Amino acid sequence: MTPTNLAILATIVGAVVLFGAATVLAMGWAVRAGQFENFDRGARSIFGPDEPVGEPTDAFPRETD
Amino acid sequence: MDRGMVIIVGALLTFASSWLGLVLLPYRQLQNQQPYTASPGDDPYPRQLSEKALAGVGVYSANGCLYCHSQQVRSARFGNWWEGGEMKTGADIRRGWGNRRTVSRDYLHDRPTLLGTMRTGPDLANVGSRYSPAWQHQHLFNPRSFNAWSTMPSFAFLYRREPVEGGKRAETALRLGREWTVNPGYRWRPTDEEWDRILASQPGLADALKAANPGHFDVATPEGKARLLDFWLTTEEADHQVVPTADADHLVAYLLELRKAETPLPEAKE
Amino acid sequence: MGVTLTPPTPADRAQAARERREIDSSCRGPVLHYAASAVAWLLVGTTLAVVASVKLHSPYFLTGSEYLTFGRVRMAHLQAVGIGWSAMAGMGGACWLMCRLSRATLLYPKLLHVAAGLWNVGMVANVLGILAGHGRSVEWLDSPPYVAPFLVASIGIFSVWTAATFVRRREPHVYVTQWYILAAVFWFPVLYLVTVGMIFWVRSTGVMQMVVNWWFGHNYLGLWLTPMGVGAAYYLIPKIIGRPVHSYYLSIIGFWALALFYSWAGIHHLIGGPIPAWLATASTVGSMMMFIPVIAVAINHHMTMLGSFHVLRYSPALRFTVFGAMTYTAVSFQGSIESLKDFSEVAHFTHYTVAHAHLGAYGFFTMVMFGLFYYMIPRLTGREWFSARLISLHFWCDAVGISIYFVSLTVGGWWQGRMLNDPNVPFGNIVEYVRPYLFTRSVAGCLMGVGHVAFALLLVANLAGWGRKRGIGPAYFVAPAGKPAAGEPAPV
Ligand code: HEC
Repeated sequence: MTPTNLAILATIVGAVVLFGAATVLAMGWAVRAGQFENFDRGARSIFGPDEPVGEPTDAFPRETD
Repeated sequence: MDRGMVIIVGALLTFASSWLGLVLLPYRQLQNQQPYTASPGDDPYPRQLSEKALAGVGVYSANGCLYCHSQQVRSARFGNWWEGGEMKTGADIRRGWGNRRTVSRDYLHDRPTLLGTMRTGPDLANVGSRYSPAWQHQHLFNPRSFNAWSTMPSFAFLYRREPVEGGKRAETALRLGREWTVNPGYRWRPTDEEWDRILASQPGLADALKAANPGHFDVATPEGKARLLDFWLTTEEADHQVVPTADADHLVAYLLELRKAETPLPEAKE
Repeated sequence: MGVTLTPPTPADRAQAARERREIDSSCRGPVLHYAASAVAWLLVGTTLAVVASVKLHSPYFLTGSEYLTFGRVRMAHLQAVGIGWSAMAGMGGACWLMCRLSRATLLYPKLLHVAAGLWNVGMVANVLGILAGHGRSVEWLDSPPYVAPFLVASIGIFSVWTAATFVRRREPHVYVTQWYILAAVFWFPVLYLVTVGMIFWVRSTGVMQMVVNWWFGHNYLGLWLTPMGVGAAYYLIPKIIGRPVHSYYLSIIGFWALALFYSWAGIHHLIGGPIPAWLATASTVGSMMMFIPVIAVAINHHMTMLGSFHVLRYSPALRFTVFGAMTYTAVSFQGSIESLKDFSEVAHFTHYTVAHAHLGAYGFFTMVMFGLFYYMIPRLTGREWFSARLISLHFWCDAVGISIYFVSLTVGGWWQGRMLNDPNVPFGNIVEYVRPYLFTRSVAGCLMGVGHVAFALLLVANLAGWGRKRGIGPAYFVAPAGKPAAGEPAPV
């Protein structure tokens, strides 16, 4: 194995380990801290009484009126 | 933790990770790179550019040569083609763009570094070894005076067309036929009427040209007239000349010093 | 909570509508300032683009002028569309979205007028400076040295103000669009300062400048434009079709994966270049990981749209946005693949890459911004777009234009790369070979230009008050022919 290939392999393995560990830690923290709660409400937060779920809010302007 | 803080801290961390990995690490790896000296007493490589060439870098970057020309020769393992049922690699080197691949040390003194990302024209990393100053000037003045197919822009604005003073041409004047110099940047050709007028206003012209041109033809026939025109267009203007401005001089000085892929470096071996 | 469990009373609706009108009108001035400037830069950039494009196949075109030499026009084009149009469109949209989503009015709108003004001054100096010969040939950072202070001051104000609006939020839920915007307004100033510092002020050695250069070039798209584009799409699609986003989980995962991996992808622009080998590899890993956030966004947008595709017929905003969102998926997949060594070996120094860049910056980002503008502007001015035909013209010119553009340069660029890699092909043959493709690109560019002029006309008309007044009912837009819009009295 040439030094270059070794360096490349080391980079990939290192990156996967580091990224993986960071992801696992972050996920663990997020779940514990309740970051994953109330998602449905989050998704619906852009709707309101006047523009409720189920009503399209945009259309081509009518040319003749 | 509040959602806003999560976003900011997270954004900071991910961003910092990439800065550390992609910027700071290579920065540390490369910051102490030194010029290479093959044996004690030799000139270190790469050399600093001359004063003129440094000014040429400015002309090169102000006019965006970078957007058509790269300055990096890729390794002998890059760029592959098929030849006789066999796959070969190392196209850049085979095209004569350099003797070897370029490595980080070749760019040690470059500011800005003009690696480039586009090869509308050939790679210029080692162009200094390929052409003479006169060639470079004429090519910059109008690339199509060498290759009719060239799409490189003319840089005629780096040259000055001026009357010849006292019958003596400047040494730096381009040796180009009038078709290129009458209207700098373009290829000029008179209309039929104009050509008639020129012939009429200079009665000696036809004889002088015939004397210089050994072929036998009759200037009265349309064919003869056309041949005469072609010949006349390729001779230099007597009363005008085209000379490089300082910018053109600097630019060519820079092009001539571009020799990035010649001097052997240990790390460039493959 | 329980937004839709009990049907809202008319009083509720009126109250909510009034609140939103208040928020919209608080940010109207600066947002329109940004939007109108953006469109002006789009026109400037398009003109420069066509000039540069024609010069590539017809070198005698305008060859007499030093100000219009290809290299300068090419730099000025990128600045005008990349830093002028894209950034200003994004910032205008981000300001409006942030106010709406935070349910907060914009404080001291004058401050943002100053920010937009500074950006414009910087851009005028930028484009004119480059044409006058002060360009620096550092891709994406060609602007003359005197431009950076204007941009830094402007983005500084903008970022602080966006964050301030967020802090004043009255909506307890932080919507995914806000995540993207908040991160972007933090990333871009830092990115810009670090880059300008390390290339021009600290003066790193040789190739290090290129490493920083491409770290910036890629992150400008990835951490500045993409978050704005994806963020806007995350608002527009659900809002327009009236249906919550398919999976909120997925959108959050997509956000974090983008934050992490996009910022690692930039150095694949230097594959095969004179940089340490591990560096290019690290970026290839980052680029490959980009499949995760892209697939997350793709699934999410597609599943949200599922069953509502017919709305594309009615809503101009949705049509542009969905076109952009679908292109985002395509261009990101393509980008990941391009980071592979064997692929880059062919495509790197060719027009293939130019096609890819335009698919991203135009097919995705610009189209989403058009969608956003079509939705946002009438709600700010209280005026309807005055001609549906012009909108149609705009859409089809752009959609067809970018498609022709992409196909011609992709095909031409690929074979250009194959030929460059075969030293038995004389260079002249390659130059001649790509010419027809470049010509086709010019035609496509003109077509897109026609679309832009149509859009600019619509915008001017709207700002000048030529459109029909919008109804004052709570759900503002006119209904698909025949059906009265919610809240609007049925036509008599
Ligand atoms: C629009 C693209 C374009 C731009 C801009 C451009 N060139 Fe070129 N250049 C070409 C093409 C195409 C060729 C090949 C045909 C020829 O020789 O003219 C070329 C060839 C060259 C060559 C000869 C290389 C060789 O190995 O034969 C040199 C030297 C050169 N260009 C220098 C420059 C300089 C200096 C600038 C900026 C002032 C510049 N070019 C700007 C397209 C361009």
